[in-house]
Amino acid sequence: MMTALLQAAGVPFAFRALTPILGAEMQARSLAHLDSVDILVIAIYFAIVIFIGFYLKGSSNTSEDFFMAGREMTAWIAGLSFVSANLGSLELMGWAGSAYQYGILAAHWYWIGAIPAMLFLGIVMMPFYYISKVNSVPGYLHLRFGDGARALSAVSFAFMTILMSGVNMYSMALVMKVVLGWDLNFSIWVSSITVAAYVALGGLKSAIYNEVLQFVLIWVGAALVPILGLIEVGGYANLARQISANLHRADYVHMWSTLGHFKDNPMGVQWIGIVFGLGFVISFGYWTTDFLVVQRVLAADSIRSARLAPIIGAAFKMMTPFIVILPGLLALSVLPFHLVGESVAVATHQHSYNEVLPLMLVRYCGPGLLGMGVTALIAGFMSGMAGNVSAFSTVWTYDIYGAFINKKATDKHYVAMGRWCTLIGVFISILTAYLVQHAASIMDYVQALFSFFIAPLFGTVILGMLWKRATRQGGFWGLLSGTAVSIGLWLFVQHDPTNLRFIAFSRDANPGMAENIYRAMWAWTVCVAVTVVVSYLTTPKTDKELEGLVYGVSKLPEEHDDHWWQKPIVWASAVGIVFVALNIIFW
Amino acid sequence: MAIPGRETMSIWFFCGVMLLCYGVIITLTGLWELSHPLAAPPALSNLHAPIWWGGSLAIAGLSYTIRFFPRKRARH
Repeated sequence: MMTALLQAAGVPFAFRALTPILGAEMQARSLAHLDSVDILVIAIYFAIVIFIGFYLKGSSNTSEDFFMAGREMTAWIAGLSFVSANLGSLELMGWAGSAYQYGILAAHWYWIGAIPAMLFLGIVMMPFYYISKVNSVPGYLHLRFGDGARALSAVSFAFMTILMSGVNMYSMALVMKVVLGWDLNFSIWVSSITVAAYVALGGLKSAIYNEVLQFVLIWVGAALVPILGLIEVGGYANLARQISANLHRADYVHMWSTLGHFKDNPMGVQWIGIVFGLGFVISFGYWTTDFLVVQRVLAADSIRSARLAPIIGAAFKMMTPFIVILPGLLALSVLPFHLVGESVAVATHQHSYNEVLPLMLVRYCGPGLLGMGVTALIAGFMSGMAGNVSAFSTVWTYDIYGAFINKKATDKHYVAMGRWCTLIGVFISILTAYLVQHAASIMDYVQALFSFFIAPLFGTVILGMLWKRATRQGGFWGLLSGTAVSIGLWLFVQHDPTNLRFIAFSRDANPGMAENIYRAMWAWTVCVAVTVVVSYLTTPKTDKELEGLVYGVSKLPEEHDDHWWQKPIVWASAVGIVFVALNIIFW
Repeated sequence: MAIPGRETMSIWFFCGVMLLCYGVIITLTGLWELSHPLAAPPALSNLHAPIWWGGSLAIAGLSYTIRFFPRKRARH
């Protein structure tokens, strides 16, 4: 799926640039040809997915079952689903392309851009989400800041999520066309009918089951590329030497030593933006407040599982560069031709950066293995769509329909609404997909719109959880003003791209990367400042009213572990130590 | 749709079945390629990745399928 992190962090250089390939339809070329055994592999995946949907239908009869998977997921299932909801095909292909284009710097989006936030969610925030028994992030805002903040976040999330599902669907069809030569309509309808079937039947549990299945599939389908690639180049040390020799520059294989100034690295970013913009605001905003991923953890069967799930997810997220970033770096060494940007690729019929992962799959995988790799890509797309649609269905039913339109319906009515919502959501996604096909710029706008809400939402939620003085009015006006600032800055740079120098304080900032990072930092700062000022001007809630919602006035349930090494904090520390070690190794 | 008298199927059971199917198919494809070499083989085809990778998937899949096969419900 095309993750919100990808959008928020601004990966315009990655997949949204795929859109011009539409123009390449005329070329009628495809990267790979599938054998009958590959088709069999794909067919088996579809059969299992549909079977799971029908199988789980019987256990999704109540709203708790349908929207929250019965809150019976173990830490492992919730954790893998949590990280899998983010591990979509666009992410895989987009970041592999970015690794080819910008080198190992792309791994920042997997490490500092994810790990600290995931650990923070598990250790600090999850207890509040879990003990408040909310069904969604807007639901938490309702308890903490009232209906205004809830309505603002629910409407924006529902609207953006369903549009993103359409963009995702269209992107999948486009990739299938480029890689396999499949017809756009065929891909859109087959994938959407399958997703509609298994989510409408089995609800969140079906979506989570399929996300775990997809996670396994992506690893077994993609891991062979880096394994064989490292054998071919003779190990990582040789790879680093070959890249530096081929490109006549050493900055492609260092993560931190080139971040002193925008001009010193191929990405055009600087350490302050990476640490505070990406590592703090964007990453924490996405991983701790985007309901698409948080919903998976809320489905855990206990508070201990809910705390462990993001930590397990963080461990696997930390390993993901092996199947995403490494193939991009390997391509710099082993491919006999040079990849180019999308516009050049379309004009000159060369291969683009975004095709690096399929190209590497084709390089190392024969019949059967290739089918499994392609199935992993399809699974990633469908899982992304399912994640969007299930989150949309939950937020619409609980936080819009149930909160403002029909408050007193029966549980059965809400489940029926959830199923209909899923079908309607898929239908809107299909419309969006066709809309994007005819007006490619819509994809850019949808992604930009999504990024407007993430940073300020994090400011509102984190103040709500950690600062008991934050008031209802402060939360609402902070969220609104942060969002407005984000939109304003986006328009400011759209109007004149050179205005970026005022936001990033440098003329050398990369228009794609730096704009998103610094815009997020400003939006978060304004949100926090407005929340603090308005809160001091208004009357706070009493401690009793804030019990279970805010740090310091809530009694957290005690967890009894048999051994010290079973404690979530121990595992979080272990993941944290490996995270620091990796950054030092690839410094 | 559950198997009568048995526990519900775990996600790990589904993962096992999927890996087992893929492992068997890919291993057999690799063995077939030993006697019928591909006209345009992929890089490092001399390592016969389909055989050892497919075999590994099949073993992992089989162990998960057996380990998480829905057990009979305990009678009360």
